[in-house]
Amino acid sequence: MRHLRWLLIPIVLVPLVWVLNFGFGRDPAEIPSQLIGKPLPSFRLVTLDGQTMTAEQLRGKPILINFWASWCAPCVAEHAILSDAQRRYGDRITIVGVLYQDTADRGRTFVARYGGDWPILLDPGGTLALDFGVTGPPESYFVDAAGIVRAKQFGPLTDAVLAARVAPLLAAAIDR
Amino acid sequence: MIPTLGHVAIVVGLAFSVWAAIAFIVGARRRDDALLASAQRSVYATFALVALPCMAMVISLLTHDFSVLYVARNNATTTPPFFSVISLWAALEGSILFWTLLLTGYASLAIWRHRNRHAALMPWVGATLALIATFFFAVMTWPGNPFTRVTPVAMEGPGPNALLQNHPFMGLHPPLLYLGYTGLAVPFAFGVAALITRRTDEEWLGIVRRWTLVPWIFLTLGITAGAFWSYEVLGWGGYWAWDPVENAALLPWLTATAFIHSSMVAERRGTLKIWTVALVIATFTLTLLGTFLTRSGVVNSVHSFTQSAIGPWFLAAITVALGGSLALLVWRLPELADARPPGAPVSRESAFLFNNVLFLGITFAVLFGTLYPLAAEAISGVKVSLGGPWFSQVNAPFFLLLIFLMGVGPALPWGTARWSTVRERFAVPVIVGVVGVLCAWALGMRQAPPLATVGLAGFVVAIMGDEVVRGARARARARGEAPPVAAWRLATRNRRRYGGYLVHLGIVCMATAVAVSATMGSATTATLHPGQSFAVRGYTLTYQRLVTEALADDPRVIETRAEVAYVGPRSGSLATALRAYPNAQAEIASPAVSTSLGEDLYVTLLAYDPATRTVTLRAVVNPIVVWIWLGGLVVGAGAVFAIWPERRRVPVKALATAGAGVGPAPDLGPRSADALPGDAAAPLREGA
Repeated sequence: MRHLRWLLIPIVLVPLVWVLNFGFGRDPAEIPSQLIGKPLPSFRLVTLDGQTMTAEQLRGKPILINFWASWCAPCVAEHAILSDAQRRYGDRITIVGVLYQDTADRGRTFVARYGGDWPILLDPGGTLALDFGVTGPPESYFVDAAGIVRAKQFGPLTDAVLAARVAPLLAAAIDR
Repeated sequence: MIPTLGHVAIVVGLAFSVWAAIAFIVGARRRDDALLASAQRSVYATFALVALPCMAMVISLLTHDFSVLYVARNNATTTPPFFSVISLWAALEGSILFWTLLLTGYASLAIWRHRNRHAALMPWVGATLALIATFFFAVMTWPGNPFTRVTPVAMEGPGPNALLQNHPFMGLHPPLLYLGYTGLAVPFAFGVAALITRRTDEEWLGIVRRWTLVPWIFLTLGITAGAFWSYEVLGWGGYWAWDPVENAALLPWLTATAFIHSSMVAERRGTLKIWTVALVIATFTLTLLGTFLTRSGVVNSVHSFTQSAIGPWFLAAITVALGGSLALLVWRLPELADARPPGAPVSRESAFLFNNVLFLGITFAVLFGTLYPLAAEAISGVKVSLGGPWFSQVNAPFFLLLIFLMGVGPALPWGTARWSTVRERFAVPVIVGVVGVLCAWALGMRQAPPLATVGLAGFVVAIMGDEVVRGARARARARGEAPPVAAWRLATRNRRRYGGYLVHLGIVCMATAVAVSATMGSATTATLHPGQSFAVRGYTLTYQRLVTEALADDPRVIETRAEVAYVGPRSGSLATALRAYPNAQAEIASPAVSTSLGEDLYVTLLAYDPATRTVTLRAVVNPIVVWIWLGGLVVGAGAVFAIWPERRRVPVKALATAGAGVGPAPDLGPRSADALPGDAAAPLREGA
């Protein structure tokens, strides 16, 4: 009987550690996107170069939509990965940046400094970001050639994520 | 250069804290004074070695050095200096740095203060504190390095979390909470040391109570400041939402409060020792849990703004701290068994015991409610949450009973209470309580919980008033002093007891204000064009104009404010705003609060249309909210009064007559109903 008191330790510890341990690997800020499997929201926005761009114009090729800001530290590193991706995939996919809660001037300075010549959309009032449910930059969406949103990346893109997400879109595009 | 220096200091600090822990343990076993002295010096050194990186971080923030990842994520070139400095605790890594500063500060203070005393206890206290510091240094060396560099260096950063730069109270609320959390490591260390050395005597209790009260004061003020911040900033008109991280601060507060009460019984009657040590251990473990919940992103909360790799480290720390101290406790269990039987059912001991049961009940309910969504998801995969109403409903009866005990406990004698004593003590306070309920009813209060709160508040205040008046009168008669002088001298010579009354008064004040403001407020929402008016409980509010402009001290922040004139019991004008921060998804409210002792007029701008200049305003009249904040200050003042150093008096004859059993006795109000208050107790008083 006297040794039964030692049972107190596992009785307290095991459930507590089990429940807390379950909490790992989940980011409560990461909300599954409601857009997956649905068509790309329509928009008509102006790019940094003053061109008007609509969702319909982008049809026919897989699209990578990247929400970013000049004040976002991870976006700087991500920008280099996007530049690589543009070189690697060339015409096979369309990369579109969306400037998130930032000014056009800051966006231009950023692009002048870090390079990249994919179109950057201005999103005054953040309406496109609202349509996508963006919680903060960087956040990216992968859209297939038919204009259906297929995946969301919360946080900066990596080469591995890009390869994993783009390959099925390219395969589907060829099938079409 | 400066960030590198900061990181090097952290690594050296880790080495010093590891050495301190080893030297304390080996020194204690070999009784090697030179080794122990080296360990003590190493602890002081760790404080310096964390102060240095704190300064390095503040300099990096002030100079907007975006090569440091933490700065790049939490600062902008336009962040005002004040918010740059307090960004030290705006996110995970900086918080841990600041936390370690406070922890090593407390450790140095505790070791320095008791350096020449308690020779058996102190090495183990030092070793425990050094091990805790080692954990935090290790976290900063590996997964949570605050000086991680980033290339290429960004030109601009997002600035601090918008909620953190919307109110200067962010400079006060987190440090107060952290001073509370970290300070509770000291009583924990004393608890571990007591179990190892088998010393849980009165001397130990005295030290631990003082080292618990200091962080308890900070925790109380920190929680109150957080509620105040939430009220002034979040714009929903409330101050407590049972958010997981609010709960995380409340949990150690509950067990620390239970400890403060049970330690009195342990000291006075020699009982409840295991219980008391267990509470010390639980309190510290709950502070770790609080940090874990806040900082690891395990539960969803406005507070968990980062997810990080330090989560598993904290989980390991909780497991080691809880498992290790539980093992110590179980090991010593047979030796700590109570020597005396518990007191009679109607006695002060029983009141304390019941008080502890209630505190534990609330702790369990809050812990359950906080972890339940996680447990439910782990078991069934279904996302559920327990909302604020669940917590309020479950805890309200516990809190009401606690208020009742707050009155009953101090008025009951130790040992056994006679029925005549009970009748004599409680007749008038019960009448006062009933009158309180009738007054509240007459003023329109109809719900049972707030009515009960008001009634119990009257009851408690009447009992305390009676105690003070009786004591002062008796002393005035015996010493020939004027009653106010007698009351003051009585209080300053029984600091723990009268400080305790003041704390209770503050709590009663807060409880009443919470009960009344939560149930008796009025709210109206209206959409208006300029010049239009609407009414809320006696006030007429007229929307005058809409202004949009950049903030003077941070031009990246655009404020849109509605200027409103109000006429009613009080008249004037106010401006309620929404602020757009560059790094926030939605605009952050900046409600206007016009405060008076009787009621707050609280106006939030919910929405506006820049084209038509229409605004949607929500106006709330919140009765007596300000008494929550004032009550918090009274609690703090009472606790400071209680621990204020007291002149030690040489025990004289009274020692022999008043030492044991039920008779007149020292401090905390332990006196029988028949004893003369004040004088008989005074000679026995010990420094609080």
